[in-house]
Amino acid sequence: MSTSTNKQSLKGMLWTWAALTVIGVIIGLYAPAWIMPKSMSNNMHLTILTMVVFTVAAAPVAAGVYATALFALTRWTHKGNDVPSAGPAVRENAMVVTTWLVVSTLLTVFLLIWGLGALAVDNGSTGKNPLVVDVTGQQWVWSFSYPGTHVSSPDLYLPLNREVEFRVTALDVTHGFWIANMGVQVDANVGTITTIHTTPDKLGTFDIRCTQFCGLNHAFMVTEGHVLTAQQFTSWLASQPQRA
Amino acid sequence: MTTTLEQAKTAAIPQGGGLHRRLNMATAMIGGIVFASLFWYLAHHFLDATSRTYSDEVAGSLTIGWIVGFWLGIGAFVAPLRWLIGRDNTRADDLYLAGQGQGTSRYWKFTTDHKVVGVQYIIMTMVLLGAGGILAMAIRTELIVPGNHFVNQQVYNGFIAVHGMLMILALIVAVAGPWGNFVVPIMCGARDMAFPRLNALSLWTLVGAAGLLLTTLAVGSLTMGWVVLEPIADQAGVGMDFFAMAIIVFTVSTTVAGVNTICTILTMRTKGMTLARLPIFVWGAIIAAALGLYAFPYFSLVEAQTLMDRTFSTSFFVANAGGTGWLQANLFWLMGHPEVYVILLPAVAALFEIAAVMSRKPVFSYRSAVAGMTGLAGLSILVWAHHMFTTGWAPTLGGPFMLTTELISIPTGLFFLVLIGTLWRGNIWMKLPTIWMFGFIANFIIAGVTGIYLSDIPLDDQLHGTMFVTAHFHYVFVGSVLFGAVSALAFWYPKVTGRFLNEFMGRISFWLTFIGVQVTFLAMFASGLRGMPRRYSSYAFIFEHTNLMTTIGAYIIMAGMLVLLGAVITSWNKGEPAGPNPWHANSLEWMVPTPVPLENFEVLPVITEDPYNYGEELVRS
Ligand SMILES: [Cu+2]
Ligand SMILES: [Cu+2]
Repeated sequence: MSTSTNKQSLKGMLWTWAALTVIGVIIGLYAPAWIMPKSMSNNMHLTILTMVVFTVAAAPVAAGVYATALFALTRWTHKGNDVPSAGPAVRENAMVVTTWLVVSTLLTVFLLIWGLGALAVDNGSTGKNPLVVDVTGQQWVWSFSYPGTHVSSPDLYLPLNREVEFRVTALDVTHGFWIANMGVQVDANVGTITTIHTTPDKLGTFDIRCTQFCGLNHAFMVTEGHVLTAQQFTSWLASQPQRA
Repeated sequence: MTTTLEQAKTAAIPQGGGLHRRLNMATAMIGGIVFASLFWYLAHHFLDATSRTYSDEVAGSLTIGWIVGFWLGIGAFVAPLRWLIGRDNTRADDLYLAGQGQGTSRYWKFTTDHKVVGVQYIIMTMVLLGAGGILAMAIRTELIVPGNHFVNQQVYNGFIAVHGMLMILALIVAVAGPWGNFVVPIMCGARDMAFPRLNALSLWTLVGAAGLLLTTLAVGSLTMGWVVLEPIADQAGVGMDFFAMAIIVFTVSTTVAGVNTICTILTMRTKGMTLARLPIFVWGAIIAAALGLYAFPYFSLVEAQTLMDRTFSTSFFVANAGGTGWLQANLFWLMGHPEVYVILLPAVAALFEIAAVMSRKPVFSYRSAVAGMTGLAGLSILVWAHHMFTTGWAPTLGGPFMLTTELISIPTGLFFLVLIGTLWRGNIWMKLPTIWMFGFIANFIIAGVTGIYLSDIPLDDQLHGTMFVTAHFHYVFVGSVLFGAVSALAFWYPKVTGRFLNEFMGRISFWLTFIGVQVTFLAMFASGLRGMPRRYSSYAFIFEHTNLMTTIGAYIIMAGMLVLLGAVITSWNKGEPAGPNPWHANSLEWMVPTPVPLENFEVLPVITEDPYNYGEELVRS
């Protein structure tokens, strides 16, 4: 292979890489919001944003590997049935290895910083008068009670724009408490209370599904949740039968 | 201990010996069943039938009987027993044990020749993949439409657990078993493994464990996934006792195999075979073996504790008696994450080897390859709690475990650098091994990127426990490891059989499997992103389309695997003859004749350079 065709092929590879990167970035920008459930909380906005950022960051790397592989397949394959002659005996290239290590380390550091920052926002509490909800899982139902009210409900009702603190536990085996529309998930463990926070910011209905295998009817451990306006929520609470 | 090839050739079946020469897989099964029955009878009659744990005690005893009888029946203890009474194996006995002059019957016996063990591992891998694959098809058939139609939920849950465990076992041995045994000793320039009898023991112990695992389905009442999460496993019936004992027995097998691999590579290398001249696959084999030695003891520990909770009423994992399921989860994942790399590393190392040979170039940056594999193994023991981000255990450890997990991108990145760098401007020979290698590269990128999402806690809080995770690790195991394993199979198959794996069928199989993987698991990603949890036996209507796609894709994968199975079987005796070195490679396994004679080398070779000097004569001259 002459130097000029090498240059040409590398140029073609660059174009392939650029095109694949653009495709990856477009997928990254639009696919998460399109496929994932409608966002109903601050945590879910962050979840989708993180998905977008990571996909966009990974796009050029993945595109680089795919572009090279495609080029290898089209330009560097041996034609014919005889044994190919040897390729260039390149064993080391300090520049390439160093660059690769530096770039992959920088990318990792970026992902890590983003992740730690997002983690702090995600799991933190605003501390502003959160509504506490006690969540109890048992085979194969959820129940929700509102401390201070004696109200207990098989469905979850939440007021709009007020932080909720879920205190989650289980009676028999471990269950997984997950609100797909709100980007929050924590296990319900026997004899322990685990806590998560979120702030619902859209009115509407959502599903609560169990994410931890819990036996026979695991697939049917689904409950509805509702985000109401503050007024609706108060009147809902008042209308509920008071259990001791 | 060495024999000359002359002796090996001239001797027919070595004379002497006794009962143990008649032992084989059938006597092992009989032994297992007899002892299992005996132990069952004793337990049944002498244990306290009013005890809460009675049925588990009986089941546990039975499983111990099975494995003891299986070992006795296969003849695992004959040589040590003879040594004990002062009638050590003679040279003729050892040659007989190595399978000399016994034709194909040696594949069904306690045979010590590393090449026989390698072939036995090929068969074992295919059996495990086949059984796990049938369960996968049953699971996907159940999930073709919402609702429970095909199997009842209890049976379905058992399928989930046993499918997972069978596939994990299959992939742990898929590359390291066949090729770690068949080619690694020859690559090192050794006549056999360091401990040939332990080698046979590891294989037959695996067979015994697989027998127990398959029985769990018949005994039934498994209520947990293969991770055997507590306290849910506590509700499982006696199938759980079989499951736990199968794991304990399996870890005996991996420990014995790991020690043997490490000792072989460290002590049996021929003159001049320095560590820096080792074929890169040997590095993969020893790193994976060392990592397995670290990881699998946790597995037998956690299953032993589970079994004790069930039989002796201990309470390691029983929440209302001072135990905790989080302890179980920690111990399990201390094994579980390194285990992924015990599976992955041999496949990756085989692909480095194949990339070099097929692109007619040296491995690019051999040192990066070794450093990457070592780094990955080292990091993998520090990341286990990323499987527990959403359990609520130790939230303050979230940051540190996110750090260690994301660092894994760096050694994994080196794998791509080595592969791509080796292919770079090569003269790539597009044969079956190469084609499956390209499939690996395409799929491993997707596995890697989706792994980055899951390492991030805010994203994991959304994706954990969903089909997204299932799709991610299937891209690792099916998309990457299986493709690497098939590439390795196509590459070394001619050394085993003297014939090529059928190129045409192999290509058909590749396209079916490759397309099947994309359809199956891309759709599964979508199911998970849309909000479908894993281990569901039914689902809401919003998950209909993606599940239908996944099931269709799974059938395509099955078709691809069946074509591959057809190719492996038909090419064994009827394939195109390949000669001793069909890929014109330089490492030692290609320098010996095919079929490889007993004890491999007539004269042990002396090594002066590594096996990657493609094109360097040209440069030098
Ligand atoms: Cu569940
Ligand atoms: Cu892991």
